[in-house]
Amino acid sequence: MKDLIRKYGGPFSGMVAHLIQRVTGLLLLFYLFLHVRTIYALREGPAAFDQAVGAFNGVLFKLLEIALLGAVILHALNGIRITILDLGLGQDRQRRLFWAWSIGVGALIFLAGAIPLFLASVLRR
Amino acid sequence: MTGSYEVRVTKSAGVRSFQVTLGERMTVLDALFRIQAQQDSSLAFRCACRVGMCGTCAMYINKVPRLACKTRPAQLDSAVISIAPLPHLPVIQDLVVSLGPFFDQWKRIKPALRGSGADTLAIIPPNPDTSRKRDCITCGICYAACGIKASHADYLGPAAINKAFLRLKDPRDSANKARLSVLNDEWSGVWRCHTQFNCTAACPKKIDLTDTIARIKRAMLTS
Amino acid sequence: MTAIWWWLQRITGAALVVLLIMHFWVEHFVSENLRRGDLTYDAIRARITNPAWQAIDIAFLLIALVHGLSGARNILLDYSRIGRRGARFATAGLVVIGAVWAWWGIAAFRNL
Repeated sequence: MKDLIRKYGGPFSGMVAHLIQRVTGLLLLFYLFLHVRTIYALREGPAAFDQAVGAFNGVLFKLLEIALLGAVILHALNGIRITILDLGLGQDRQRRLFWAWSIGVGALIFLAGAIPLFLASVLRR
Repeated sequence: MTGSYEVRVTKSAGVRSFQVTLGERMTVLDALFRIQAQQDSSLAFRCACRVGMCGTCAMYINKVPRLACKTRPAQLDSAVISIAPLPHLPVIQDLVVSLGPFFDQWKRIKPALRGSGADTLAIIPPNPDTSRKRDCITCGICYAACGIKASHADYLGPAAINKAFLRLKDPRDSANKARLSVLNDEWSGVWRCHTQFNCTAACPKKIDLTDTIARIKRAMLTS
Repeated sequence: MTAIWWWLQRITGAALVVLLIMHFWVEHFVSENLRRGDLTYDAIRARITNPAWQAIDIAFLLIALVHGLSGARNILLDYSRIGRRGARFATAGLVVIGAVWAWWGIAAFRNL
C-alpha cells in the first residue's frame, strides 16, 4: 500500500491525472445526458417541469451539484495541462503542473464556487 | 549498514517469501543471487552485465519496473522487497519474461538505418534533438510501465516510437515514409499515447520518451 | 486529415472551457432566483426562448457531444480486444449516438 502511494503520488502521478481525466469525463458525459433530459422536460409545461426539478432543490442534489463543479474544474484544468504538454511546453515540469495547477489551482477555484453554492443553497435549508 | 529484508518473489507457482540479509551497497540482483544460491536453487531470473548497461535484469520491484542491478533496498525504503516479472509480457518461468512482443513492435518501425549506397556512410553532425534519446538499452521497462500497454496488445510502445524518432531525424535514411505511416496509425501508433508519463518516469536511462512521442505527434499535425 | 481526432478534442476542449464559464455565470449569478439556486420554469424559460441563447446552447451541446463522445471513443480504442474492426463499429456507433443525442437536445427547444 505504501509502495502504491509513493508510486502514484510521485513519479507515476501522470497516470493518476490520466485516470482522473477519464473518470471525470465519463461522469460529465452521464451528467450531460441527465441535463438534456431535464431541459427536454420544459415541453411538459410549467407545472410538470417545476415538479420534476423540485427534487433538484433538495440537499442531496445541491451536494451533487457541488461535486459536479469539482469534476468540471478537475477535467478542464487537467485538460489544459495536457494541451500545454502536447505543445511541448513544460515537459520537464509535468508533475508540478499536475499538483500545483490541476489540483492546487483547481482546489482554489472549486472553493470559490463551492462555498457560496453551499452557503446559499444547502445551509439555507 | 547491513539489513535483513523479507523478499517476496512471484514465482510461476506462486509468491514465495525469503529472509535475506543485505549490505547497504548490495542490490536486488544480489538478493536474487543469494536466494538462488542458499535458499531456492530453482529460482529463474535473467541478468548479464550487472551494471545497468544491458537491460536484461528488468523486473517489477515494489510495484515499479526497474533494473534489479541498479536497485538498492535502501532506495526502496521498505523492509519488504516484492519482486515480480515485468508486466505486459508473457512469463516464461518465474521472473523470466519473453521480450517477443516488445521486439515485434520494435521491428514494425524498421529500426535499421535504410540508406541508399554511400550516403549511409556519411558522418553527420550531432543533432541536439536526439542527443538525449540515444541511450535506449531495450530493457522493456517503458513497455512494462505504459498504462496503455496494459490493455492494448497492438500499440507500438515508447521504445519503438523513440527508435523510429532517431531514424526520422537521420538525413541519411530513406525509409521514413513507411515509418510515418506505422506511427500515424490511429489504432496502434502514437495516437494511443495519452501523455501519462509512466515511461519517462520508469526509464533507467532517463530518456524523455513522452517528449519524443509528443514531438512526432506535433510533426504529424501539420503534415 | 491526419490527427483529426486530436484536433477535435483540443479545439472543442478549449471552446468548452469558455462556454462553461459563461454558462456557469449565467445560470448561477445573473438573476436573483438563480443566485439562490432555485430552478423554476419561468426563470429558465425567460432566457431559453431568446433565439440568440438557443443558438449558443445548441452550439454548446454539439461541441460538448463531440468532445465527450470522442473521449469515450478513445477509451474504447485503448482496449485492443475490440480489434480494428470493432474500433470502426465503435466509432460509427458513437456517431449515431451523438446524432440522436443532438437531435434530442435541439428538439427540447421546440414548442416552448
